[in-house]
Amino acid sequence: MTKLKAAINRVDLRRFRFWVQLGFFVLLVYGGYFAINLSNDLPTFACAFNKEGRGGVCFLMPLQHLMATRWSSLFGWAGLGVLTALLTFALWFIVLNKAWCGYACPLGTLQDWITSLRKRLGIRYARYSQSQFRSLSTIKYVLLALTILLPLGIGGGLLPHSMGTPFCDICPGRMIIPLFSGDTSQLTIDFSSKTAMIMTALGMLITGLFFAGAFVRKRFFCFFCPMSALHYLFSKPALLNLKKDGDKCTRCGDCYRVCDMQIREIADDVENPRIMQDDCILCFKCIAACPEDGALKATFVGVPIFESTEEGFHKRMNQATDTKRDNHAD
Amino acid sequence: MLSPPAQAVAVLSILLAACNLPAAEPLWLSDTAPHSRGHGSQGHGGPVEVRKGVYYKRLWLRQGQAADNSDYVSRVDETPKLVLIDTDGKVVEKLLKKDDKADALNVAFAMPNEGFYNAYLKRQHVEGDRLEVQIAKAEVLKHSCREGHDHVQEKMPPHHNAGMPLEIVRNRQPKENFHSRLGHGDEVSFTVLRNGNPLPGARVTLTSGQGWSKSLLSDEQGRVSYTMIRDYYPSWEAFEKRHAQPYLVNALYTLPQAGELDGQAYRETRYLASYAGKYYPSPDDYESYAYGLSFGLFALLSTGGGIYLFRRRRKRPYQEVSFND
Repeated sequence: MTKLKAAINRVDLRRFRFWVQLGFFVLLVYGGYFAINLSNDLPTFACAFNKEGRGGVCFLMPLQHLMATRWSSLFGWAGLGVLTALLTFALWFIVLNKAWCGYACPLGTLQDWITSLRKRLGIRYARYSQSQFRSLSTIKYVLLALTILLPLGIGGGLLPHSMGTPFCDICPGRMIIPLFSGDTSQLTIDFSSKTAMIMTALGMLITGLFFAGAFVRKRFFCFFCPMSALHYLFSKPALLNLKKDGDKCTRCGDCYRVCDMQIREIADDVENPRIMQDDCILCFKCIAACPEDGALKATFVGVPIFESTEEGFHKRMNQATDTKRDNHAD
Repeated sequence: MLSPPAQAVAVLSILLAACNLPAAEPLWLSDTAPHSRGHGSQGHGGPVEVRKGVYYKRLWLRQGQAADNSDYVSRVDETPKLVLIDTDGKVVEKLLKKDDKADALNVAFAMPNEGFYNAYLKRQHVEGDRLEVQIAKAEVLKHSCREGHDHVQEKMPPHHNAGMPLEIVRNRQPKENFHSRLGHGDEVSFTVLRNGNPLPGARVTLTSGQGWSKSLLSDEQGRVSYTMIRDYYPSWEAFEKRHAQPYLVNALYTLPQAGELDGQAYRETRYLASYAGKYYPSPDDYESYAYGLSFGLFALLSTGGGIYLFRRRRKRPYQEVSFND
């Protein structure tokens, strides 16, 4: 058992994550071709517009549909539908917590692949200043509020029906994920109404921005993702977690430097053992980069499953140095 | 090509139809209420009534050649009876009645299961020396996305009623599912069945909502195909991409079948079957790839260019710093 634990702690997280992400990508983008449908309330961007290939449906789609139900129904029998969907979403979410973002989300995986491409091209990445970070990380809550309130306005007859799925209209996943199953039909502007025209034009602009942003900034879109905001509301009782032992932390800052989401608290906060922040994607790169035994750990139902060790740190550092040397030799 | 006997029957059918004009106006079943403004609940299969979470469909009996100017029927001689076949093949009979809200015969039925419900109304009477048999058919879809989409493909194949002397079956589009819509420019095909078997040589007429029509003879497999024409030209402000345009398909078939009904003798029997459907504006009418890709490319290039220029401006040329001690 001790040997197994030590082997896990020495794992090449980069490679492990690559294969898990690839597996989830195939499952959620091509699962439909193998008659797989995990759920209609998944806590990740399994895009519903990827009609044939999808292996499940992102919860934001049914959420918006349900919220657009006429108020008389929504606050009656249809309310049960909302609660059932929310419960299904919560049950899926509770297992992996925000690792749905770091390991399962096809759009997140795509951003990581774009980052790999940038690295190979030798172009440096961009970082936000702390003040930019603070203001940008509130955007996802605003988007979540709009994702719920705009369809609610339709149910009350206050807004036009063409506003039915406002977040899907502007989500780059709608345009990009169906492309992997050969469906280009979302790359259009819908001129059927003024609202549809504005929303689809906005969607295409954001898609262009997504590619450019993801190229220079790691996990560019995740800062603005309303699913991430929704996750955080349910993350307290989740089974998978990130813990920190402040007494063992030397505040060297390695964890902060490798964090794709630029979460400063991971290095600075030595008081709170529940270190996971709202922007965290539970990729566990911070654990892999930490040289202090047991300072950071991933737990499942309170049991540590992967923790930082000096041995693991050195092994991964040596591997990274070897890979760099090989790349230069090539 | 039709076989010689089928050709003979087809020619006879056309001649009889032509010689006995005017043909009876077809009866058909519509899910649009009289004076409807389309404000009710809409499901994937058109307007529905939702009672305690269960979908109900209300069908109205109408008569006429074109969907937009057909009358709502308020009275028929015999008791109007609807034969309903549910998604599992269970048969239920329902009576059409007039209610307080409208002076038109209608009936509502529950649709608890996902899939297609077939509703038939058969009426026969003797007119002159001919027995007129009219069969109105509606194929109603019940689908709610909340019930998932795992079962869709197994529920897609069309059903028919082998007991019907004449029936029109709409053949499914390739890759059709519960969300598919027939659009302008799409090809749609129908199979005409007589007692459940394909009927060659039946005269089939498709009439669009505003009255455009085209008549064809069913082939050896009882099939006919049409390309749906655009029949909807509103201004941009009034354009609605979910605008459902009705179409009506009639199949006419006459046989020299003599007999007697309620003491009235007849020398021939004319069958007139109807099927009403809906079609929608094609996405090609209102969606543009050119604009979409231009917007996307503009955002990509302007952001990429902006980042490049920003980085270039911040790059300072190398300057050697020397200290003079």
